[in-house]
Amino acid sequence: MFLEIQNIVKNFGQEQVVKNLSFSLDAKKTLSILGKSGCGKTTMLKTIGGLLSPDSGSIRLNGEDITHKKPEKRNIVYLYQEDLLFPHLNAFENIAFGLRLKNIPKSIITDRVNHMLKSLELENQSQKMPNQLSGGQRQRVSFGRAIITNPSLLLLDEPFGSLDAGTRHRMQGLFKNLSKEFEISSLFVTHDLKEAVLMGDEIGFMQAGNLKVYTDKNEFIADPETGVEEEIKFWGALAGLEKNVDLKKH
Amino acid sequence: MKLSWKPFVLSLAVLLILFPFAYLVLLSLASDWRFPDLFPSYIGLKNWSKILSSETGLLTSFASSLLISLSVAIVSTVSGFLISRAVFYHPKKNTLTLLAYFPYILAPVVFAACLSFFFLKMGLFGNVMGVIIAQFIIAFPYALLFFSSFWNKKVKSYEDLVATLGGNRWQTYIKVLFPLAKGLLLICFFQTFLISWFEYGLTSIIGIGKVQTLTIKVFLFIKEANYYYGALSCCLLIFPPIVLLYFNKRYVFKKLA
Repeated sequence: MFLEIQNIVKNFGQEQVVKNLSFSLDAKKTLSILGKSGCGKTTMLKTIGGLLSPDSGSIRLNGEDITHKKPEKRNIVYLYQEDLLFPHLNAFENIAFGLRLKNIPKSIITDRVNHMLKSLELENQSQKMPNQLSGGQRQRVSFGRAIITNPSLLLLDEPFGSLDAGTRHRMQGLFKNLSKEFEISSLFVTHDLKEAVLMGDEIGFMQAGNLKVYTDKNEFIADPETGVEEEIKFWGALAGLEKNVDLKKH
Repeated sequence: MKLSWKPFVLSLAVLLILFPFAYLVLLSLASDWRFPDLFPSYIGLKNWSKILSSETGLLTSFASSLLISLSVAIVSTVSGFLISRAVFYHPKKNTLTLLAYFPYILAPVVFAACLSFFFLKMGLFGNVMGVIIAQFIIAFPYALLFFSSFWNKKVKSYEDLVATLGGNRWQTYIKVLFPLAKGLLLICFFQTFLISWFEYGLTSIIGIGKVQTLTIKVFLFIKEANYYYGALSCCLLIFPPIVLLYFNKRYVFKKLA
């Protein structure tokens, strides 16, 4: 397995936020994780990214134990809900940021950033400062900045949480395309049920620090804990109601 | 047509503000101006030409003041920025922040008297290094408190992001934190420079008359009733802050706005 998490525990004082976390992920796959606010999703991602150290357990990436490795040495990029674009850099420089840290030759950086801008459909926005970009454009630049460094694993913490429904839908499509084009392995955390189903090759559900990964989407849908059945009932009832209204009209 | 008083009031206000400065310049150019003469018997550059002579020691004072204030401002601003970050992430940040107010509880002269024993033991009495360290003790807590508002969750997120993108601590400072705080760093440099530039109490006690900054010199001339040299040293005293104010207005406040 590409990513193997074994028995990770993380406490804050007396509170156990992540409880005995164990799962694995194949390379070039996306595991979407559904969970309500405060269930330990962010702590889990930050632990895997090296921004928090686990109290126990181990993390293996591509066969290597990275449990105690510094975040800058892991090649795992963590993406926040906020785009966190650097306000003093334009879109081009924001995307080039990770490459400049690695002292890659300028001509290569220019080629790669221009290619990324094209993939993100932002060719004409490259010289704009973050405050001149829309929410969706900013999030795309943020994606580009993460993906261009060719990370082994991408951690996405509700990346579309602050976007409106339309932009969110477009961004979901864009992420799917980018995942395919750049062969990205990722953990996609969300509290949106539909997004979790759409984005993941595999799907998991996190509750009170425990993560359950399902073998397939049917098992996920059948589990009453996930709330999918309730959702289906709600929309089914609404559809039935609309049908009745239509019949009465005719 | 209705007469507006606004331009007259504004002009009067500007004149009232500018008058002390214009008077200082006039006084620095004058000599032998006694009551009831309306104008001084001499107006010229005689006093100013004496800046270059060693007799008044003004040029030496100006140079040592500049050296002391630049050192204090640079060291306080940089260390204040770096240490305020450590304080922000410390579990006892509130206690540490409270401690930073300590040098301001005492009057500078009392504070200097408390420090004098240690400065004497360390051989820092009456030399420039001693004055720099003494003024740093006042300016550093100011810088620490000044930067405490800069650190927040968002800045922490930026730091984490740079780390996951492969950046080390040095790159985080150079490529992100310093550019983000550029405006604040310049303002803090300006403020700590002014704290040091106009400092009198600590400097007079720790410097014991051997380190004569411009502020000390102004007081000496006034004590001697030499108003012309006093005005001249005041003009020199005002010059660097005006230059800094100009740069701040042109490069800092414009960007912050």
